[in-house]
Amino acid sequence: MKDSLVLLARVPAHPDSRCWFLAWNPAGTLLASCGGDRRVRIWGREGDSWICKSVLSEGHQRTVRKVAWSPCGNYLASASFDATTCIWKKNQDDFECVTTLEGHENEVKSVAWAPSGNLLATCSRDKSVWVWEVDEEDEYECVSVLNSHTQDVKHVVWHPSQELLASASYDDTVKLYREEEDDWVCYATLEGHESTVWSLAFDPSGQRLASCSDDRTVRIWRQYLPDNEQGVACSGSDPSWKCICTLSGFHSRTIYDVAWCQLTGALATACGDDAIRVFEEDPSSDPQQPTFSLTAHLPQAHSQDVNCVAWNPKEQGLLASCSDDGEVAFWKYQRPEGI
Amino acid sequence: RFHGEGYQEGYEEGSGLGMIEGRQYGTLHGAKIGSEIGCYQGFAFAWRCLLRGCATEKDSKKMKALESLIGMIQKFPYDDPTYDRLHEDLDRIRAKFRQLCSLLNVQPDFKISVEGSGLSF
Repeated sequence: MKDSLVLLARVPAHPDSRCWFLAWNPAGTLLASCGGDRRVRIWGREGDSWICKSVLSEGHQRTVRKVAWSPCGNYLASASFDATTCIWKKNQDDFECVTTLEGHENEVKSVAWAPSGNLLATCSRDKSVWVWEVDEEDEYECVSVLNSHTQDVKHVVWHPSQELLASASYDDTVKLYREEEDDWVCYATLEGHESTVWSLAFDPSGQRLASCSDDRTVRIWRQYLPDNEQGVACSGSDPSWKCICTLSGFHSRTIYDVAWCQLTGALATACGDDAIRVFEEDPSSDPQQPTFSLTAHLPQAHSQDVNCVAWNPKEQGLLASCSDDGEVAFWKYQRPEGI
Repeated sequence: RFHGEGYQEGYEEGSGLGMIEGRQYGTLHGAKIGSEIGCYQGFAFAWRCLLRGCATEKDSKKMKALESLIGMIQKFPYDDPTYDRLHEDLDRIRAKFRQLCSLLNVQPDFKISVEGSGLSF
């Protein structure tokens, strides 16, 4: 189980600080990291090691909590505790802050680009989720403010192919949003977690959503449309979401992040017990009631809480992780034989 | 028997005091909500006048959000505190107001006080 995850490199990405989040660019050639030192760093591979190619400073006054690349790979968004979101434009190795999105009342916790590249979502401790539209002239406009959650919203993520947004909150729920008659509405609330939901990830097809929580479980949810074959009840024309799998008993502390590999379907988790775990779906399991097996468990992956795990979108098995210890680690995952 | 009478008297007095306190709380809370919505309405009417006659596409988006906010405020049931979607609708009004501020590039920074003073934008 230990050999399925092998360390390739470790870099002190945000010294004397926490590294909060990582994001691979769509081409899989660059990794953006952000941290408590208020900076964003861009890492590129040179031979067998990873070097820092750019440092984005002067963007934020406080911790940068999340970063996200646009689908075209030319822009990077950074969400900060200073209540703003910066949009950076890439020009070779240089990044220039082209706009700052304001409006949230306090710490912005997450930012995400829609697959079309025309929409951006942000969420905050002020309990709201904002949807922004960007036009050809790089002008951003707020198209909706959604006040559905009753507590701090920790994470937002877009569906891989549809204009569907999901958010996770300290209020223990996951909410889903879509556009209806020119305005965005919350059309589903997923309840089941017993504590804060920290992160979300859609599977490659977008039919399932994984959520991870302070309750030390990962839950897999599936969407059922009205008149579905499985007989799952729906109200009117709205789809219904059901929890089809719960991974419990594997994590001894809060699970801060979950990442679903778009190439292989493997699920990686970042945990407060300093470990990284990988799960794979059993090939013979029923799609309506899937079972997942633990295929890798690396205790002490970092010397403190692991905050984020991110699969490289182009290179199979390449996983990056970051921690409160300020370091970023690169791993090679190989599915063990006989599973 | 005295125990029973004592209990009855105490209960009635307590209920009376509770009613008074409840009424005071309701008045205060109602005034706060009214004051908040009143602010949004005044803000929206002022901006509607300011934007009248503007014809760019961006301005039409602003007008749409403005009209949406005014519509929500006008539909809000002021005379029914038992309306079951009161807080939901109030949250929608607040959200639309924040979106409008973002579109107009205005920072909402007003203090709401029941005493009636201290409104600065």
